[in-house]
Amino acid sequence: MSPTRRDFLKFSALAVAATTGMPGFLARAAAQAGGEKTLVVVQLTGGNDGLNTLVPYSNGAYYAARPRIAVSRQEVLPLTPNLGLHPSLKPLMKLWDDGQLAWMENIGYPNPNRSHFASMAIWHTADPAQAQADGWIGRIAEKIGDPFCASNIGGTTPQALQASEFTLPSIDPLDNFQIRVPANLEGAFNTMLSTPRQGEADYLRRATRQMMKNTARVQANVKKYKDGAVYPDTRFARQLRDAARLIAAGVGQRVLYVSLGGFDTHAGQRAEQDELLATLAGGLSAFQSDLEKQGLSEKVIVMGFSEFGRRVAENDSAGTDHGKGSVMFALGKGVKGGIHGDSPDLEKLSEGDIIYKQDFRGVYAEALNKWLGLSARDILGGDFGGPGWVA
Amino acid sequence: MTLTPYAQNLSPEDAAHFVRRTRFGGTDAEIRALVGKDARAVARAALDFDQTRAARNPFDPATGATPGAMIQLTRAGWLYEMIYGPHPLREKLALTWSNHFVVGTDKVRNESSLRQYLTLLRRHAATRRFEEFTLDVARTPAMLRYLDNDQNRKGKPNENFSRELLELFTTGIGHYTEKDVQEGARALSGWTFTGGRGNKNFLEEARFEYQKNRHDPGEKTYLGQTGKFEPQDIVRLAAQHPQTAVFIARKLHRAFVADTPDEKAVQGSAETFRRTHGDLRAVLEELLSSEAFYGSRQRIIRGPVEYIVGALRTLGRPELAAKRLVNLAQLSGRMGQQILEPDTVKGWDGGREWINDSTLLLRMNLAASLTLSKDAPQVKPPTNLALTGSERDLLRAELGKLNDKQRTYLTMISPEFQLA
Repeated sequence: MSPTRRDFLKFSALAVAATTGMPGFLARAAAQAGGEKTLVVVQLTGGNDGLNTLVPYSNGAYYAARPRIAVSRQEVLPLTPNLGLHPSLKPLMKLWDDGQLAWMENIGYPNPNRSHFASMAIWHTADPAQAQADGWIGRIAEKIGDPFCASNIGGTTPQALQASEFTLPSIDPLDNFQIRVPANLEGAFNTMLSTPRQGEADYLRRATRQMMKNTARVQANVKKYKDGAVYPDTRFARQLRDAARLIAAGVGQRVLYVSLGGFDTHAGQRAEQDELLATLAGGLSAFQSDLEKQGLSEKVIVMGFSEFGRRVAENDSAGTDHGKGSVMFALGKGVKGGIHGDSPDLEKLSEGDIIYKQDFRGVYAEALNKWLGLSARDILGGDFGGPGWVA
Repeated sequence: MTLTPYAQNLSPEDAAHFVRRTRFGGTDAEIRALVGKDARAVARAALDFDQTRAARNPFDPATGATPGAMIQLTRAGWLYEMIYGPHPLREKLALTWSNHFVVGTDKVRNESSLRQYLTLLRRHAATRRFEEFTLDVARTPAMLRYLDNDQNRKGKPNENFSRELLELFTTGIGHYTEKDVQEGARALSGWTFTGGRGNKNFLEEARFEYQKNRHDPGEKTYLGQTGKFEPQDIVRLAAQHPQTAVFIARKLHRAFVADTPDEKAVQGSAETFRRTHGDLRAVLEELLSSEAFYGSRQRIIRGPVEYIVGALRTLGRPELAAKRLVNLAQLSGRMGQQILEPDTVKGWDGGREWINDSTLLLRMNLAASLTLSKDAPQVKPPTNLALTGSERDLLRAELGKLNDKQRTYLTMISPEFQLA
C-alpha cells in the first residue's frame, strides 16, 4: 500500500466520521482489499438472452424453440462441440483462445422474479429476500472504509453502489469530473458547506463536500494515463476507456461499475441484441488491449451479468419474454478461461424457463474472496460455493 | 383517515413552499401574491388549469429533419412549456405522469405518437377518472409501441404491457400472480396501431386500432375474476384494484410531499382515491391543502428538470435563445433525466438518486452560466424567499459580503436551493 493511499484511507475515514457524525465508524478497522487489484462489473440492463449469447448449437431443442431468432450453426463461433458464441462477440475470441474468457452457465437465484426491477434489486443487494437495502458493492466500500474504493462510470448510481454511510461516486465522463468555482468564491463556498444541516439538506452538503475531495484526487492523477488502444465510438466503450484511465491513475478504486442497457428484447430480438452484443464485445476487447498496453492487465478482471435471461421459446414478435436463469461472463488474465458449469436442460423447463443450477452469489463470492481478498461471508451474509472462475 | 386540512392563511414561507412544489419555483412577487390566502382556495385555483399553451413556443417537432432532431425538438418544446407556459402545475403533473406511464424515445420515435401521448398527459393531469386516464394511455401508439402490445395477438401473447400494467401502472408488485400477467396478455391481444412505423415514417400519423381478428376471445381469469375479457376490461380491473389507490397515492406524495413519504399520509390519500373512484383532482386538492403538505419543507431533492426549470422561474423567466433551451434539455439528460427517456420503464426513482459527483458538478456549471457568465441573463436579483423558501437569510453569514450575482450563484448550488 502506497503512503498516499494509506493517508487517504485515514483521511477519508476521519472525514466521513466528521461529516456524518458516525463515531462508531472510526472504531471499525479499515479492511484492505487485496493488493491493488480492480474488479470491473459490467451490467447488461434489461435481461440479456443468455441462450443467444452462449449458444447451445448442437441442441435440437434450442432450434425447435426458436425457429426465427436462433443463431444458426453457420453463424456461431464454436467454443466447444456444444457451445459457441454469438457472431457479434467475435472480438472476444482472441481472449477465449488465450484462456482469458470464462462463461458461467445456468446462473440464477431461488424463487426467480421476472420483474426487471425486483430482479435487478436482488442482483444489486445480493439478497433474494431483499432485506438488505444497501448494495453489495456499497457494503464493500463500508468494509474497506473508503467511499472512493468503488465508483460507477455513468450518470446514475446503481443500487449496487448504495451504502448507508457513504455516497459512492458516479463519474460521467471523467474529463468533466472537476470543479470550477471562481477562485474568489472558493472561501465563501467552503464556508457555506461547513455549516451542518438537517435531513436531506445535510445529505446534499456532505455529498458536495465528498465530491470536492473525489474530483481533486482524480484530476491530480489522471494525467498518468496515455492512450493505449482505439476504442469504438460508443458510449459504453468511452465509459470503459474512462475506467482504464482511472485504473491507470491509481486513485484507489477496487471496483468500477459500467452499464450497457437495452437488452429487453421482446420484439425483433436479432437486430437489437446483435447490435448490443457487438457494442459489448467491441468495448471489452478495446479495454483489454488498452490494459495490456498500460501494463495493467494482471491487475484487472471484468465480471458481467444481467438481471435475468429470457424465455427459451421465442414469442410471436420474433423476440423473447422475461425468463429466469442466464449466463455470466468474466474476462482478464486473472480469470480461469473456459465454460464453468453445465448447460441448462432445454427439455426440462420451469414455466418455459431454464431451471438455474448455480446461485449468482457463488460467482460474486469467488471475486470477493479470491480477487479482492475480502471475506465474501461478511459482504454476502452467508457462504456460497461457486465455480472456480478466478485463476 | 383523511388528511388534516391546513387551517392557517398562508404565510410568506407557506406561499414560497407552495410555489416551489407546484410551479417549480417563482419570483418574490409571484410568491407574495399568495400570502394571506386560504390553503384550499390556493390549491383549487392552481388546479383549475385549462389546456392553453405557451404563446410563441419556438419548437415544432414536426419540422425535425430526422427522428433524432424531432425528439430533441419535442424535449426542448416541453421544457419551454414548463418554463414559460401559463400552467406550470399542469406541466409538473404531466412530468410526474410521464414518469409513471413511462414510454421512451429509444423505441417511440414518431412525432404523432409523442404528441398524442403528451397531449393526453396534460389533459388528464388532474383527471377526475384515473381509470379513463389509464385506458387512454394504454391505447396510445406510444405505449402500444413502447411495451410491445402492438405485437400481442391471439395464441402468440406478448406479456410486456400486461406485466408492467400491474407492476408499474396500477397495483404494484405483490398483488398479482404470474398467471394474471399471462391471462391479462391474452385479453389485451388485438390492441395495436397503424401508421408511423419505421424510421422513415417518423412524421406520419399513428392511430390506435383494435384488430379483432388478433384478439383472443376465450375465457380468462384475471385478478380473481373470470370472463371473456376484452382489452379494456383488463385495464379497468387493474385500475379499480384496491391497491392501485395506494400505489398512485404514494407516487403523488413522492412528487409533492417528500422523497420518503409518510405511509399514514399516503393511506389518507389512498382512501380519498378509493372513495372518489380515482378522482385525482380531489386527491390533489386535498393533498395540496393539507397539514402533511405544508409540514414537509425541504423534503424533496429537486430532479434535473425541476432544478433547471426552478432556476429559470426563480430568475423571473428571462428570455433565452432557442439554441440555449435545446442545450438545457440536453443538459437535463446528462444530469440523469433525459426527458421522455428514463433508463427503464420503471422511470426515475428520484430522491438521493439524483445526486452524485457528476450531477452535482453539472448543477454548479449551470448555476454559474445563469448568474456569473458573460451571457448570463440580465435579471432582477431573486430574494432569499424566492431562492430558498425562507425569509430568514440562511446563508447570510457566508454570503453577506458578495455581490448579487455571486450570492445568487452560491445560493443556487446550496443544499437549500436544491431542495423543494
